[in-house]
Amino acid sequence: MSRPVPLLTAGGLVKAHGRTQALRGASVELHAGEILAVTGASGSGKSTLLNCLSGIVRPDAGSVTYDGRRLEDLPEKRLSELRRTEFGVVFQFGQLIPELTVLDNVALPLLLAGTDRAAARVRAGEWLERFGVRGQEDLRPGELSGGQAQRAALARALVTRPRVVFADEPTGALDSLASEQVMTALVHTARESGTAVLLITHDAQVAAYADREVQLRDGAVAALGVTA
Amino acid sequence: MIGMSTRHILLGLLATGPSHGYDLKRRHDERFPQARPLAYGQVYTTLQRLVRDGLAQVDGTDSDGGPERTMYRATDEGTHELARWAGEIAPPAPFVANEIFAKVVVAILAGGDPAGYLSAQRAAHMERMRELTAVKAAQGADLATVLSADYALNHLDADLRWMNTTAARLTTLTAEVDAA
Amino acid sequence: MTSLRADLRLAWELTRGSDRGEWWRVTLTATGAALATGFALAAVALASLRGRYDVPVAAGLLDEPGTRSGVIVGLLLLLVPVLGFLGQCARIGAVHRDRRLAGLRLAGATPWQVRRIAALETGLACLLGSAVATVFSVLLLLRQWDRPTVLAWVGVALVAVAVPALGAVAGALALRRVVASPLGWVRRVGQRHGRGPGLLFLAGILLVAVMALLAVATTSTPAANRPNGGAQLQTMGVILAVGAGAVWLSGATAKATGRILAVRARSAATLIAAERLRDDPWSVARTHAAVLLVTVVGTGFLGIRQVMGEVVRTRRFSAPPSYYLTGLDLTGAAIGIAFAITLSGLAVGTAESLATRRRSLAAQAAAGVPQRVLDRSLLLETALPLAPAVLLAGLGGTAIGTWYALAGNRPVPWEITLVPVAVYAACLLAAATALPLLRRSVRPGELRYA
Repeated sequence: MSRPVPLLTAGGLVKAHGRTQALRGASVELHAGEILAVTGASGSGKSTLLNCLSGIVRPDAGSVTYDGRRLEDLPEKRLSELRRTEFGVVFQFGQLIPELTVLDNVALPLLLAGTDRAAARVRAGEWLERFGVRGQEDLRPGELSGGQAQRAALARALVTRPRVVFADEPTGALDSLASEQVMTALVHTARESGTAVLLITHDAQVAAYADREVQLRDGAVAALGVTA
Repeated sequence: MIGMSTRHILLGLLATGPSHGYDLKRRHDERFPQARPLAYGQVYTTLQRLVRDGLAQVDGTDSDGGPERTMYRATDEGTHELARWAGEIAPPAPFVANEIFAKVVVAILAGGDPAGYLSAQRAAHMERMRELTAVKAAQGADLATVLSADYALNHLDADLRWMNTTAARLTTLTAEVDAA
Repeated sequence: MTSLRADLRLAWELTRGSDRGEWWRVTLTATGAALATGFALAAVALASLRGRYDVPVAAGLLDEPGTRSGVIVGLLLLLVPVLGFLGQCARIGAVHRDRRLAGLRLAGATPWQVRRIAALETGLACLLGSAVATVFSVLLLLRQWDRPTVLAWVGVALVAVAVPALGAVAGALALRRVVASPLGWVRRVGQRHGRGPGLLFLAGILLVAVMALLAVATTSTPAANRPNGGAQLQTMGVILAVGAGAVWLSGATAKATGRILAVRARSAATLIAAERLRDDPWSVARTHAAVLLVTVVGTGFLGIRQVMGEVVRTRRFSAPPSYYLTGLDLTGAAIGIAFAITLSGLAVGTAESLATRRRSLAAQAAAGVPQRVLDRSLLLETALPLAPAVLLAGLGGTAIGTWYALAGNRPVPWEITLVPVAVYAACLLAAATALPLLRRSVRPGELRYA
């Protein structure tokens, strides 16, 4: 199968945190609609790679190209806008604002995009329903179970219909059953809407939900898994 | 392992009522989707052994429009044996026939590429895990499918973890094997 | 005794091994304690004087028992913003401290041990501040006063001991929640009611008020030529009433504002700010309590000063105008100091509230919530509930000024209505000092820590 131009390309990424070298020349490609797992031991640079790819941090060297745009050329304001509109992010925990209700948390990206509050809440409700978080719209995130909170976080990441979802250990704090529910929800929705997913995980069972795997070792790509 | 418990699994399928060999095979493959499919011949030899041991008996024939088929049903002794087996604890880790480990050691002894082998084996494991996950995550997958896929996934995952830690400690292992 | 020593060592080790936030807390708490000690010592030293003296400072204001009592009351009133400031400081790193003490409970410490350790932690910081302030005050006292009386020395010793002791008690009382459950509140479920520190603050104010009344009663000799004593008390009563009302109003409006705006908010910034208010309105009330008191006092005082200044200049009195004007200026300076302390408290409170939700903020920035939305919601959290409360406090202060002017048949000094506006602007500026911290809080590095 001949592949079109990748949606997101990173080449020779180098990033240091103080004296720790997190990335040493990592390169990776993400195609439209593809689910890619990035695996590797703790400290292999997985999260830093995600942060560079999503424009959360700027690499010390190397380049990230998204849809023909070089992220390093964009000012912070444009990067922020990109993350808000074309990307979605999910972390291990704690991305929901504790003071907002679950529904308002999911509606927030729409509100930021200028959608009317009532319309935003209706759409947020639909997405929560898709992720099986029903009847808990008016609770605060602290009142949800870990699995429910992560599904709400996924709903928030996907509510703007982004082209790429970046997920950093989205099931890291969950037991295997909750993890399965979160991953199934993510994979189904991504496939339905053609969203590409970059999935950071140290868990092979989670990585197995992806189409392809990239393994990081010491800040560089160690081996490419078999392409599906 | 399959050979050891096929008789019990067939006994279990007979527990719902008399059945013939072909039907038993079909129901087995349906109920245990991730297991190796039973060969028709294996079903018959196993049924004959069950009859020989007094755990099952022939229950007449049934043609049902097609060719004539022998019906089997479990005896009281068979039901009893089934209950005993179902309640028996399976010995944890009955054997450590670790082919992967053996190959790594042999690769070290023969001056091969144990790291390359582990990496390729890992990729094959991942590929199988992706297939099983796709089966399990497919919309409308029933619980039996999900659970049997999970069983396989957890075992493959265990292998994979072991390969990851082994790959990270290959240098020490090589030194140890070479010194011995 | 040995257990106390063990607790002391543990408290010391905990403080020593803690991060920068904890050292900030210790430093600021010590500063607050030093201020409290300084003001209290000055008040006590003055209160120990009986009859007429010749004090070489403040244009002779301290010579007479009557005016002296006024100064004492002023000094004691300065304790109110200091208490507010200390309350803010106690909240620095509160989440981490709660977690740490909950950890101690999980490790098997009894509730009393945890209480004692917490008390020692706060008490030691207060002791540091009080010791420094006492040393300098005594040096100053010895220069100004040839032979201080025994009463003065007793008072000094009492204050030096009381400040750390009260700090320790407050530290222990503020920990009811953690002591009750070893798990603390790792997870927040439902409404929090952070009234504990608020009640402590009110208790502190009451204590100050009682002390002030006592000071007036014991030092000023009721004489026929001093009919104003009653009016002084009345004024103070009004100030306290309006102040307390403003505190309550601040909490109530924070709650109401949050509830109303959360439903109606159209922008993300307003929504976030409103929900935070609804979630914890009393922390806002606590932060703003001192601001509102200062607004009442400041507005009222400026009115009084305007009227009195005019009276002093146009009529003839036994003392030269400078005598009265110095008194007024001293009061003004005291209110200025109080305001400065209050603003510092507000800034500390805002910074602390940012520090505790670093992770959430970093996650929002990562999700593309624009910096200006975060900035705006931070400012709105201060601005929204403060507006009605400052308005009421300003009205109260203006009422005091107007009443004073009308009583003296003078034109009403309308300029003083600008004071609440200025206070409001200053508070927003104080809150804005936390914005650079906000920029640093949203660094992606914070994403990794809970």
